[in-house]
Amino acid sequence: MFKNISAVTLLLAILFTAGNLHGKSVFISGYARNYTGMLLNDSREYSIIQNTFDLKFEHSRNRVAFKANPYFYQYFDKDLKIGLREAYLDILFDKMDIRVGKQQIIWGKADGVFITDIISPKNLSEFLLSDFDEIRMGVTALKADYYLGDNAFELVWIPIFTPTQMPEENSIWFRTPAFPIMPVFDYSQKDVTASLENSELFGKFSAMTSLIDFEIMAGYVWDDDPTMHIQKTIDPATQQLSGITLLPQHHRLSIAGGSFSTTVGAFVLRGEGAYYSGKYFQTGNPTVTDGITDKNYLHYLFGVDFNIGDIRISSQFIQQAVLDYDDQIVNDEFENMATILLSKTFLRETLKLDLFSYAGFNNEDALIRPKLTYDFTDGFQLLLGANIFTGDEGRFGQYDNNDMLYFKVKYSF
Amino acid sequence: MIKKIQVVILATLIALPVLSFAGDKISGQQIVENVYNRQTGNDQQADLTMSLINSRGDERVRTIRQFTKDFGAMEKKIMFFKTPADVHNTSFMNWSYDDENKDDDQWIYLPALKKIKRISSDSKSDYFMGSDFTYDDLGDRHPSQDTHKLIGEEMINGENCYVVESIPKDEDYMYSKTVTWIIKDKWIGLKKDFYDEDEDLLKTLTVKKFEKISGYWIILSTEMHNVQKNHTTKMQLDNVKIDTGIADNQFTERMMRRGL
Repeated sequence: MFKNISAVTLLLAILFTAGNLHGKSVFISGYARNYTGMLLNDSREYSIIQNTFDLKFEHSRNRVAFKANPYFYQYFDKDLKIGLREAYLDILFDKMDIRVGKQQIIWGKADGVFITDIISPKNLSEFLLSDFDEIRMGVTALKADYYLGDNAFELVWIPIFTPTQMPEENSIWFRTPAFPIMPVFDYSQKDVTASLENSELFGKFSAMTSLIDFEIMAGYVWDDDPTMHIQKTIDPATQQLSGITLLPQHHRLSIAGGSFSTTVGAFVLRGEGAYYSGKYFQTGNPTVTDGITDKNYLHYLFGVDFNIGDIRISSQFIQQAVLDYDDQIVNDEFENMATILLSKTFLRETLKLDLFSYAGFNNEDALIRPKLTYDFTDGFQLLLGANIFTGDEGRFGQYDNNDMLYFKVKYSF
Repeated sequence: MIKKIQVVILATLIALPVLSFAGDKISGQQIVENVYNRQTGNDQQADLTMSLINSRGDERVRTIRQFTKDFGAMEKKIMFFKTPADVHNTSFMNWSYDDENKDDDQWIYLPALKKIKRISSDSKSDYFMGSDFTYDDLGDRHPSQDTHKLIGEEMINGENCYVVESIPKDEDYMYSKTVTWIIKDKWIGLKKDFYDEDEDLLKTLTVKKFEKISGYWIILSTEMHNVQKNHTTKMQLDNVKIDTGIADNQFTERMMRRGL
């Protein structure tokens, strides 16, 4: 706690003294926000009461620049959380940029779906409900971009692996995998040792042309989501299952893919796809060690954006396909999902109504997110929204009891 | 013989003023083409301040830094939003083409998503950032898209103007007609009335200030007043610089992400 207070004091001291650096002002921006959510089940409990202070410091001179983005989250039931969303340095050459430090790196053309966009891991502590800049975690990386006209080559080296941040065990978003008896977690093999050998490497070529924009990418990475190795204990006397131990463990993946977007008349067509090699899936085959099997799989998407009158519509169809499938694998061979966004503004764009929805076809579940945003004045926003989960199982249906209504007030500066 | 002479004199008297007017006469089409082809330099950079004023007089202000460059058959424009704070570092890029059959290419960079999105330029009737200007009002509408007719001449603010009525060839266009007052010797549209689908006056655009910068006439301040809803948008250009040799790579994905 004292550590936190010291950090806050230090940061505020920087904030008030950082007005000038070598004659050029440090540009400071950010926001203060209150976020209050209430569950719509019988309990009417608050799902979240969060106060946020997010700061961005930026400065540049000649061919160098830096940015730091510290944040503070205050909760009524948890310790103050402080972190750095980003903190990096830029070196700018005529045809090349180098960025080193903690940074969010976003690839691909998909909205709200992560196919080639796998460099910055996800913060799923509040499932997929956080704002996108809060879902994507910064990674410490060295990024180099080389530009040739409207084409760009990008190389990213990540020396230290950062996994997906999963919900805490006491969170309403935490789910224990279903087993006949309550499993025990063993986290001893979860961490990936920080070493050169364990670093990640990504490469991308991108082009922006009048006809089409596209990206081609490849990566030698760690799976951000841990694989659950399942070890079963059999009681020798009864020959019955007496215990299950889950050992979360990250595995190497190789990935190659690409994305595009183009305009056809009034329509913007988008696509993204990737081939993953070495992904582990749970299997019911009792002869398989740890209850997992590695398979290659495809993950791809097609999307279209268009307008009907004043309503902006964006829809996507997404499929995941396990290759060389066998029937014992717990996942379906094909998992199909769709997203749709309807958006309309009123009162000279001061009032905005959005309806975003994920729909899973395999489990007939969905997440429906209506949202009303009002710009009370420039940089001061009021937001009323709901998160409605439908279905009984599946990625969204598992949270059927977590329907919530929420309110956000945000002051940007 | 005398009768013949009288007929010739009469014919000459009738014909003279007609011939004289025909020599000066310029068509509505030519006037609009002169406005469209008015030279404004090879490249331009400026700070744009856009003030949105509602019927109660409340004002919201957006500030933008913009760069434009002529690449021959195409023109590229990039805009960086500075304020309000919640759109800071958002950027918008437009590539427009001389070929009137080719749609503009447009992209927007949203810093919160850290992503550049290609957007359709088809919705030219959409209002730009909640202002009274549609995307089409802000662009250079090609003269061939309307039928232009010179309907008179008028003096406005000491400037001698042609008055041109333009009726869109596309019947579904958002305006039924526009009437433009164009300064004779400068080819600047000083005032423009926009009529809605019911042929009622919808908006009036007024040029408040123009100056000769680096040898080109540049419009520096305009005001669009929506007479039906009684709200107004003011646009003002400051720090205008022409032909400074903006690099080609100013209009790329790299610069959209980098911001100002």
